[in-house]
Amino acid sequence: MSMKQTKVWLTLMIALSLLGLASACSKTPEGGDSEPAATTTGKAFTAKGDEGTVTGTIAYNGTPPAPKKIDASADPVCGQRNPNLTTEDNAVKDGKLANAFVYIKDGATADGTKVTEYTFTAPSDTVNLDQSGCQYKPHVMGAMINQKLNITNSDPTQHNIHFTPKNNPDWNQSQPNGAPALTHSFARSEVLVPVKCNQHPWMKAYVGVLKHPFFAVSAEDGTFTIKGVPPGTYTVAAWKEGGATGTEKTMSVTVPASGSVKADFAFGEAATASSKPGLEMMPALVVPAPGHH
Amino acid sequence: MSKGLHRFALLVACATFFLIIAGALVTSHDAGLATNDWPLSNGQVFPKMVGNLFWEHGHRMVATTVGLLTIGLVIFLFAKEKRRWVRRLGLLALFGVIAQGLLGGLTVKLSLPLAVSTAHATLAQLFFCTTVSLAVFTSRSWMTDRPTLEERPGLPLRYICSAAVATIFLQLIIGATLRHSATWDKPLPTDLLLTHIGGAVAVTLILGSAALSVLRRHRGLPFLTWPAIVVLILLVVQLFLGLAAYLTRAASPNDPQPLNPMVGVTVAHVACGALVFATTIVLTLRVFKVLRPSEQSLEFSAATQRG
Repeated sequence: MSMKQTKVWLTLMIALSLLGLASACSKTPEGGDSEPAATTTGKAFTAKGDEGTVTGTIAYNGTPPAPKKIDASADPVCGQRNPNLTTEDNAVKDGKLANAFVYIKDGATADGTKVTEYTFTAPSDTVNLDQSGCQYKPHVMGAMINQKLNITNSDPTQHNIHFTPKNNPDWNQSQPNGAPALTHSFARSEVLVPVKCNQHPWMKAYVGVLKHPFFAVSAEDGTFTIKGVPPGTYTVAAWKEGGATGTEKTMSVTVPASGSVKADFAFGEAATASSKPGLEMMPALVVPAPGHH
Repeated sequence: MSKGLHRFALLVACATFFLIIAGALVTSHDAGLATNDWPLSNGQVFPKMVGNLFWEHGHRMVATTVGLLTIGLVIFLFAKEKRRWVRRLGLLALFGVIAQGLLGGLTVKLSLPLAVSTAHATLAQLFFCTTVSLAVFTSRSWMTDRPTLEERPGLPLRYICSAAVATIFLQLIIGATLRHSATWDKPLPTDLLLTHIGGAVAVTLILGSAALSVLRRHRGLPFLTWPAIVVLILLVVQLFLGLAAYLTRAASPNDPQPLNPMVGVTVAHVACGALVFATTIVLTLRVFKVLRPSEQSLEFSAATQRG
């Protein structure tokens, strides 16, 4: 090969590499979708004392898929702490579904003000998320915008906690055993933010982040209660984990003054209700991130 | 010619191939962010290698070794190699491995943005092809004086082989983008998947034409026929691995964790892709070395330039 030929070859290589890098850089990163900007003004929500309650039960029709066994041999500590590690995406007991995230998605109070137009103050108490037995506890949880999440590691092994939201910044922190608690909060609403541990890829959790406090997670017996809801007519949504984005069902309810309304949902076979894939496809209530216009 | 230099260059190329496998294992296990720290892992040089940190920190250790080997190769080249352009290629390899390390750190620090992760995977292939080229240029078979042959009638092999290299490289970029677009628990984006399948068809046609043309036109020239045979075998294996990778990967979102069949097959697909690329480069370099343009192709080239 002559000198000239070599130069041609090297030039070709460099040109191809630049082309490749340019091509790669033109791709939109996953999770690049962002919430549209929203106004910072809104009517401050004040409890009037006539708030009601939304209660209900999440049923699961049919036989749920059996939990799958997890191979924790990559980290012996996980197997010792939790010898029967299985998947948690179908927490069904006696036909009732736990870990469904239920929340008021839309609607208006009795005076016609949309729930999205109110502003709410995040509570000062923190929400706890623990890593125990190489699982997240709780598996599904809710938090208000800017409410502090307190993240602890009870396992004698190292974890990393990785929030992979669409509308909020990605956040990943290592947390070795014995490390102090971490805190995190979200500036934008998002239903739901997936949480994972890149150390132990079976570890998953979900955080529903909302502007308002009208949400709950179904208990082991499938029941849930959303308290302090102002009288009005709302769309209540229930989200269940499963598949790439989960499944959401909605229904309309009217909350009476100082009263209670039932909102029962059913998932699984032959379940009736409007349903669609959840997570990023669901329009969450919009509030701006600090610094956004 | 230094036999030791060639052996060392081969060692660097083999270590780089192992590094590509180690990197593919990180991606398939979704271990890239097992620590948010870089270059240390959780502040340690030797952290406890449990869970996915085994793959991520293991990849970093192999990468460090390849970096040191590349420095050694450059020193060796400057001590033993007389051809300036080969020494410069060694420097290019050193520059590549440094850039590759920085891209690796950047992608961890930025939480694996698609563009940076894809660039990291792409540069890995470019670095690999540079080390393979160095092994070729320092080999006895390359240094031996060989009579040059005129290209046989038909589309010149130089063009077909160059087109094959370019097509494979583009296919590697598409594959890297596809792999980094979705973790094991998410479905692969259909548009990218279809593009990658289209790329596989293009590579099969162009590389197949190149290899078969070599075998047909230069049957008695093992210097060319051997890489052509090897690349044809690798191409067939790669196509089957691609199909298997698709089937196992399509099922993985329903799995509780990345399972060994999916990990093994997809990593083998990445590794075989690197081998196809490397072998095509060897074939192309050899074609450029022993085949000179025919009068017909020179006239065609001159007419093209005039017109």
